Parts: sequence; structure tokens; C-alpha cells
Amino acid sequence: MDHVLIIDDDEDFAMATGVALRSSGYEVSICLEAQQAVAVALEHAPDLIVLDVMFPEDPSAGFSLARELRRASDRLKQVPILMLTAVNSRFPLGFNRRDIDGEWLPVTDLAEKPMDLDVLRLKVAELLHPRKG
Amino acid sequence: MTCSAANAVPAAGPEGVDAALGAAATVPPPRSDGRPGSAPAGSPARASGTEDRVLAHSVEVSSPGRGDSGCAPGAPGRTGGGALSDAVLTANAEWFCRLRWACVAFLTLFGLGGAVPGLFERLGLTPHPLWPFAVAALLAISNVGFVWHGAAMRRRQAREAGRGSLWLQIASDLALLTVVVHYAGPWDTDVRMAYLFHIVLACIFFPPRQSILVLLAAGLLYGSCVALDASGVLACGRLFAPPVGTPALPPMVPGRLLDAIGAPAVWSVVWYLTSFLSEMVRAQDEALARTNLRLEAAQEERTRHMLVTTHELKAPFAAIQANAQLLSKGYCGKLPQEALTVVLRISARSRRLGHVIQDMLQLANLNSATQNPPDRTRVDLVRSLRWSLDQARPLAEERQVRLEVDLGTVPLLTWAAEDHLKMLFSNLLTNAVTYSRDGGCVTVRCSARSGGGPHVVIQDRGIGIAPAKLPHVFDEYYRTEEAVKHFRESTGLGLTIVRQILRSGGIGATISSEPDVGTRWDLDFPPPRQPDGSDRVVSSEVSPWTTC
Repeated sequence: MDHVLIIDDDEDFAMATGVALRSSGYEVSICLEAQQAVAVALEHAPDLIVLDVMFPEDPSAGFSLARELRRASDRLKQVPILMLTAVNSRFPLGFNRRDIDGEWLPVTDLAEKPMDLDVLRLKVAELLHPRKG
Repeated sequence: MTCSAANAVPAAGPEGVDAALGAAATVPPPRSDGRPGSAPAGSPARASGTEDRVLAHSVEVSSPGRGDSGCAPGAPGRTGGGALSDAVLTANAEWFCRLRWACVAFLTLFGLGGAVPGLFERLGLTPHPLWPFAVAALLAISNVGFVWHGAAMRRRQAREAGRGSLWLQIASDLALLTVVVHYAGPWDTDVRMAYLFHIVLACIFFPPRQSILVLLAAGLLYGSCVALDASGVLACGRLFAPPVGTPALPPMVPGRLLDAIGAPAVWSVVWYLTSFLSEMVRAQDEALARTNLRLEAAQEERTRHMLVTTHELKAPFAAIQANAQLLSKGYCGKLPQEALTVVLRISARSRRLGHVIQDMLQLANLNSATQNPPDRTRVDLVRSLRWSLDQARPLAEERQVRLEVDLGTVPLLTWAAEDHLKMLFSNLLTNAVTYSRDGGCVTVRCSARSGGGPHVVIQDRGIGIAPAKLPHVFDEYYRTEEAVKHFRESTGLGLTIVRQILRSGGIGATISSEPDVGTRWDLDFPPPRQPDGSDRVVSSEVSPWTTC
């Protein structure tokens, strides 16, 4: 069973996402605090991480967390990260897939909240088991 | 067509967000590549007639012009404490060195003139065989030293290097000038007035408490020269030969003493006036610098505030929608039909409210930016357009709308704020897709106007806008009935945002529309300026037109 780690300070959103992913047969862990995220990921290595950008104590924690996760272990270097945020394409300082970068923004894909849960499930499935070609 | 919840976008990339959010985290060095992506290949054929057809009704939204924003003035070159910044002082120290070479050349020529037999006699000058060469040589040697010292300080990036170099140069120049005054004579020539140059420059470079040292040094050196000459201890030279048969005046004549005192008196008055005026200018510069800092801080705070506000307002809607979806999609068991309808309504309204909040924030940001215009730079319009197309593509796929795109093969430069370009294109593209019919087509193409900036056309074959309603589509919250029927979730702010961007960016725009035929936007962007900010137009190659 693939393990999905959701790192998001919004408990309501994280729980709802967790329910949707569990219904698809994934094992889901939820981490609501950015500071603990790396430790949680190291303790029980996920197969995929769903990561938020803004956290209460650090509004750009998602960016730095993505970089920290990549540095934390060889395993985490390879784990797909899906970054979800309420602030991206509609904001003047938005970012999109073109901005994904091994050094700056080492995530696998980006998506904007709110997100259709069916689309999220499809995206998660695609990231966990990418189609060949 | 109407104002939609346009997928207003724009962006500076994640590093921009990182910075705007005031990230405390360690941030890797900035990325240097712009990653413009590759331009789509296209065959150089003109678009078909239907695409180019001029629609029945059109409105000029904005005329091309310079826009509201201009170039921000450069940062003031002064630091706190009433002194110029070290960078400015360093530049002036280098300028001093260049000027000194001119003095070396003048003294050398003067010396050579004296060596021409009979020339000085004919000019009424006293022959000076050696001292001009000697002073020129000393000046040249010292100048080489200053140039070397300046380069070494620059290499070491030493602080206060410019200030130190200027003081050294002024001291050295005053000493050598005194030698010249000694040989040219302290009484009969205006060579002594050359002290004034250094006094005035010191007033400009340094605060009064420091520049007065130059005045005192000049007075002391000149006074010593006069005293030595008057006392006969060290007789000074005379630049002008006295007329034949006229006895030279003894140095101690009261008129001469008055003359000797008069020069430093004039220097003192000039020092007082110049330092007074310099202080006033300096104070104004400092006030401007402080205001500028405050404005920058306010701008940063506003950006950060907008980000956080957007997140704080939008995140709850994301949670509401996620939970509503759990109910509506049956993750929590099957709902009765009536309950399902209610949940779907909650979801739709919360989504629309989320869009309205987003657009309101964006519009507020733009209105505020009109008073504090964004920095415009040379931007590749194609890159921004491609970015916005990426944003619009998922919606186009969802609505099965084809995007026919011809961005040419070369960058098209314009003078704009990049995030505004992205916001503009994203709004227009989202509108074009949203108000297309299912399976419709949106055409996007850009080209360079001959001798002007880029031209962009965004055209859909959607529901269109009635002529009577066309002038109102830019009003806040205005939505045509047809648009609401077609797409209930529009906010009515998208085109208000577009108009604001057009006005602030000096972008010319014409909207042409016809009900059930479609809507076409023609956008004329200003040409790029030179990197130095001048208005000289940079030529761009013409992008080929292709059939999409």
C-alpha cells in the first residue's frame, strides 16, 4: 500500500484530502506542523508527499521544506512531492510548473487549492505510478 | 463576453514569492535562467480570413502611450551623516585623477612654452625654466599613486576607500598648488584662486565640519607663502614680468597685504555659501532617501500583506470545497438528491466567493500600484504570453476549447511590468476560453509592428457581446445576462483589472465583439527602451504569421 504524507496546517483541508486518498486505498499520514515534517517523513518514509506552501509561523515554509526534505535522505530525494497552495496562479507573484527547479523548487508538480478531489486522486496516482512514455 | 473571474495571474516565480513572504529560510542563490521555453514552430502563412475578420463593434479601451509609470529615480548618493556615499566619493576620486592629467598636461605645455626662446618675453611673462616640469612630474607621480591606490581599494572592496582617496588627493594638490603659487607669485596672479576649486569641491563632498579643514589648510599654506615672501625668508617668483623701468613693489606695501588677506576672505565667503547650499541639498537628499525607504518598506509590506490575506481568505474556501466534495462525491456515503443539490450549491457559491475575493484583492493591488507604479523593464512578451497560456490550458482542456497559438520564433520585447503582462494575458485568455462554446477555438498570435512594439491578438468565437453592452464591460461587477447564463461564476472584475493594467502600462487596446460571433482583442504594446532607460526604440524582428 502506497503511503501518502500530507503536510498542511489546514486541518479541515488535510482531513478531507486524507479521506479522499484513503478511499483510493492509500495509507495516509497527516502532519500539521512544518517543523515536524522532516522528522515525520524520516520516521515513516512516504511514497508521495502532498505539501502546502504557507504555514502560520513561516509563510514560505513550503519552499524551504521541499528543499529540506530533498536534503534529508537519499530516499526522500526521490519521493514525488505535489505542492498544493491557495496562493499561486492568481497572485501577482504566482508560480507555475515552469518554475519547478531542482534547486529552487524541488517539487514534482504543483496544483492550486481548491482542487477537485477526483483530479487530486488522479494526480496522486499518476505521480506514484507514472505511465511509461 | 463579459468580465469573468479571469485567471489573473502574473508572477515573479517562487523566488519572488519567497522574498515577498519574507522567508527566514536560507534561500539558494537566484536562478539566472529565464527559462523562456521553446517557441512553437509555425509555417509562415497568414491566418485565414475568418480569424482576421473585423468584428462589427469595437471599442478602443486604451491608447498606446507611456502609461502612468515612469522610471524610478536612482537611489540618492548620500548616506546618513550628511556625507556622500562611498560609491559616489570613489567615482569622484577617479574623476579627480582624470582632471589631474589635464593639469599635468597644462603645466608641461607651460614649461615647454617657457623653453621657446623669446616667447615668454613677448607675452610679458617671466621665464620659468624648470618648476613647471618639476610640479608636473610630481603631480603625475602622485596621480599614478592615486590611480593605483583606487584600483587596489576597489579590488579589496575596501569601505571608505573613496573618502580616504579624496582626502589624500586634496592634501597633495594643496601642497603642490602652494608650490605653484610660490613660483607664480602670491600677489599678482589669480593662481591662488585655484585653492577655491578644492574648497568648493570639499563643500560638496564633505559636511561643513570637514570641508572647513580644506579652507583652513588653503589659508595656512597661502598665508605661509605670503609671509615667507613678505619677510624675505623665501622670496617668491613672479609670473608677470614688471614693465621695463618700473620698480617692483616691495611685498610689505599695505595694498598688497590687503590683497593677500582678501583672497582668503573671498574663499571663506565662498566656503560659507557653498557649504550652506550643499547642506540644504544634502538634507533634502536625506529626506528623499528616508521617504524612499519608507515607500519601499510599505510596498513590501503591502505585497506580503496581500499574499497572506489571499491565503487566509482563500484557504477556508478550499477547505469548505474539499469537505463539500466529500459529501457530494459520495466519500461519506450516498446523499439524498435534495441534500446533494444543497451541497453542490454551497460548493459553487464558495468557489465563486473565493474568485471574487481573489479579484478584489488583485484590483485593490492594481489601484494602489497606480499611485506607486510598478517598475517597468524590457520584457519578452512572448515569454509572458506562454506562461499565461500554460495557466489557461487546463481550463481549455476542461471546456474542450482548442487553443490555436502562433507566438512566432523570436522574442518580442516590450517595456512593461512582467507580472502585469501575465495578469493581463491570463485574464483575457481565461475570458476567451470561458466564453467560448464547448469545442470552440481561441486564437492567440503576436507579431512586431514595424517601428513599434509588439502586437497581440486574442480572438474567440464565443458568445460575444452586444454593441450596447460593450462599453460597460469594464465596469466593476458588471456582467451581461448572456455571460451569466453561460458561466454563473464570473466575478465581474476581470476586465476592470484588464483596464487598469492597460492604463498603467500605456498599452493600446481595442476590443471588437459581435453576439454569437465572438470577441477579438487587439493589443499594442509599447516598444522596449534601452537598458539605460532612454526612449530609444529597440528594433524587434517581425514574427511570422502562421495559420493556427
